[in-house]
Amino acid sequence: MTQEELAEKSGVRRETIVFLEQDKYNPSLKLAHDVANALKTTIDKLFIF
Amino acid sequence: MQLTLKQYNFIRIITVVILAIIFGQAIVIKNFLIPVILLVVGSLFLMYLRKQVKGILADERDYVIAGKAALLTMQIWSWFAVIAMFAFLALSDRDPVYQAIGMTISFSVCIFMLLYSVICRYYNKIKFTDKRLLFSAFILAIFLAFFIVGGLRLFSGEDNWVCKNGQWVSHGNPSSSAPTAECK
Repeated sequence: MTQEELAEKSGVRRETIVFLEQDKYNPSLKLAHDVANALKTTIDKLFIF
Repeated sequence: MQLTLKQYNFIRIITVVILAIIFGQAIVIKNFLIPVILLVVGSLFLMYLRKQVKGILADERDYVIAGKAALLTMQIWSWFAVIAMFAFLALSDRDPVYQAIGMTISFSVCIFMLLYSVICRYYNKIKFTDKRLLFSAFILAIFLAFFIVGGLRLFSGEDNWVCKNGQWVSHGNPSSSAPTAECK
């Protein structure tokens, strides 16, 4: 899945996905949930807190 | 009509540049009605374009950044304005115009801070209650009163020094002494 596609599925801009990947942005719980949903995984598997 | 984000940004920049040029020319020819009309038309036009954009214009990260930037901007402006206000008020003995400038700056800071406090309170508490309308009406009334009092104070022309026939003449009951600047 491309960043563009993930961004569209998560309802954010592509830049936000880039920032998430680079660990430069702490997402809200909703965004974390949306991204995890889009990637068909869970928040605790996707993010390290 | 559907626009991409790039197209929207391009049209927005062009629109703002055109508006700025017309604004400048209108002010040069001292026509202040044109800028007001353009401001409304331009805002509506940009709002229309915004709705035509396919995709997301701003997400939660943009709003977080915007919030931080707005807070920092307000803090910087407030400090700058307070210093400038005191400087202008200190210079008001030389020319009464400085007093008006200082007062305008101080009013702008007051409005900034008031507006910020009100909006913070709204988002923090009032938004989740059923007193939203009452709160909005109350705040609107306060701001209207503020503008009316401020406007009367600034534009009444009362209580000031006026230059007449080479001499400073008191108009009303000015709080400061006559300006030391030469009256021409």
